[in-house]
Amino acid sequence: MPPRSLSHALVAFVALLRRNALPITPLQTLDAVRALDHLDVGDRDELARGLRVVFVTRPEEAPIFDRCFEAFWRPRSEADAVAEALAGPGVPEPGEGPGLESQGARSERLALEGWGEEGQEEETGEPLGVPAASELEAIATRDFSTFGADQLDELLRITVQIARRLARRVSRRRRPVRRRGRVDLRRTLRANLTRGEIIELRYRQRKRRKVRLVLLCDVSGSMDLYSRFLLQFLFALQHVFSRVETFTFSVRLTHVSDVLRARSYRDVLRRLQEVRDWSGGTKIGESLAEFNRYWSHLVDRRTIVIVLSDGWDTGDPEVLATELLRIKRRAGRVIWLNPLLGNPSYEPLTRGMAAALPLVDHFAAAHNLAALRDLADRLHL
Amino acid sequence: MREEIRKIQSLMESAEYVTDAPVATSVYLAQSLRKPLLIEGHAGVGKTEVAKVMARMLDTNLIRLQCYEGLDASAALYEWNYQKQLLHIKLDEGAHKPVDQEEHEIFSDRFLLKRPLLQAITQEQSPVLLVDEVDRADEEFEAFMLEVFSDWQVTIPEIGTIKATHPPHVILTSNRTRELSDALRRRCLYLWIDYPAYDKEIAIVQRKVPGIDARLAREVARFMESLRKVRLAKVPGVAETLDWATALSNLHADHLDETVVNETLGCVLKDADDMKRFRAEVNKSGLSPFLQQAL
Repeated sequence: MPPRSLSHALVAFVALLRRNALPITPLQTLDAVRALDHLDVGDRDELARGLRVVFVTRPEEAPIFDRCFEAFWRPRSEADAVAEALAGPGVPEPGEGPGLESQGARSERLALEGWGEEGQEEETGEPLGVPAASELEAIATRDFSTFGADQLDELLRITVQIARRLARRVSRRRRPVRRRGRVDLRRTLRANLTRGEIIELRYRQRKRRKVRLVLLCDVSGSMDLYSRFLLQFLFALQHVFSRVETFTFSVRLTHVSDVLRARSYRDVLRRLQEVRDWSGGTKIGESLAEFNRYWSHLVDRRTIVIVLSDGWDTGDPEVLATELLRIKRRAGRVIWLNPLLGNPSYEPLTRGMAAALPLVDHFAAAHNLAALRDLADRLHL
Repeated sequence: MREEIRKIQSLMESAEYVTDAPVATSVYLAQSLRKPLLIEGHAGVGKTEVAKVMARMLDTNLIRLQCYEGLDASAALYEWNYQKQLLHIKLDEGAHKPVDQEEHEIFSDRFLLKRPLLQAITQEQSPVLLVDEVDRADEEFEAFMLEVFSDWQVTIPEIGTIKATHPPHVILTSNRTRELSDALRRRCLYLWIDYPAYDKEIAIVQRKVPGIDARLAREVARFMESLRKVRLAKVPGVAETLDWATALSNLHADHLDETVVNETLGCVLKDADDMKRFRAEVNKSGLSPFLQQAL
């Protein structure tokens, strides 16, 4: 075993890593202690390399680890280091690099209700205040933007309810299958063991994989409101999908999946407004480029990519077209939602929209509840 | 540096693998802590190679499980040889054996097809188990693997439980086409292999393409370094570097110029758009920006 003080320092180091958003498990800590036995702890570089192998589990975490390591295992006495680590956060400085930015975003606590456990909630006794069916239809065909600010909360709640109902429908509808599947030799043999002849065949169905969603939501200007409803709607539907990854963009792209955790949507409304970038216009092309650069591993043939935007792009439409094409090549389906499409007189003439349209598999509005409901039918491959 | 790690590094070097301290440290810790090592990196940076070299180093078998979409437990673990079983039943038809005995016979070892995972736990000496491109398998399979890795025992209902006497050394590789689960990540040691730095790439080229002109090797490495900084749809990996260097060497080139680059570009760029962009760039400002040291 390594000396006690060294293990203690290691535990303090783990605490520092955890404060910097690396979710270190106890098993990893234990492995690190064991690793000390096999490392030349006098060699600082070797210690760094060894601990990195144990603690870092994805490339994005490496810069955070390196900075923490630098700060913690300074070439001076151990006692100092421990004292510093116990003194609390502050190392490293916030807003220094990409790794820490994400930590900042995390502490921002963007939250959505209906994300997480919320989805499993039993819905038998409908709560009070739910409008009757006919009333609901009237609400469903009204554009979100025509509701007053005081009605939005209620409307979001209805959105979630519709989504949950749809989720149940979708999962029921999936069961009847088109094909009988392959003959399952193993079970066939077992079933016919006593007969000496193969009389009764047993079948095996191909395993059905759930679809993954990647959402890229425009939160600039008027799009913000529609993005909110779309997010709310899809999160309530989320257990139909294997995974939902969410990004917001205006001038730049922000990954928000991690910070969307169950809380009240009142918070979300406020928070999304804070994230919004009032300054410049929307740079869809640049945002998609950033997505392709750092997040393209989230997209495969079992992924539906949804972009919600009005296509008002202040950037170069050619960039938008190139980057969208890149997404289309990898994805199973690309859906572009433009709430303005809900207005009968609207024509997609903006340069950005014109560039994007030929590359999109499905173009639809998402301006009211009925449109969201139609969208749900499109969300399978 | 610890003696053992240095030794691993030189062993890897002698197995024709140009390595550096982080790779050697990871391999060493994976061996001594007996933990799976998850290696991620872009395509063509030599992830799979680590497992091969490790097997050669330990002088043991390399068992490879290539993952693909839809890979399931039976294809990875074991299957019964149904055809042979059926034939056996047919041949035995006249014998009127009791069902028990018949069942015992056809579900015995000689009708069992061992797939990579089962092979890996039934070896005389700890093998190296390479789970290649684990990101291509689905999440259910990941969970199944975690279960196998946790106690290295497998239960076959017809035979019983098989426990590994010599658990394998496990290397998993991923190209990040899908994010792996946290559960898997946290149970593994982790190594990210980036594109090699300039010096390392020269060393790789010189080792793998013997007889290459020294100046050409330097220029190729510099060229690749600059090329990877451009935003490309398909960034060339080390495999591309080596293909290209071999091609150039076979053409008896001793330096890079526009003609020779144009003729052999297909070894490096494998996307029509990338090629178009690169050609436009070279037409505009020539080859020299690609051969200068990046700032």
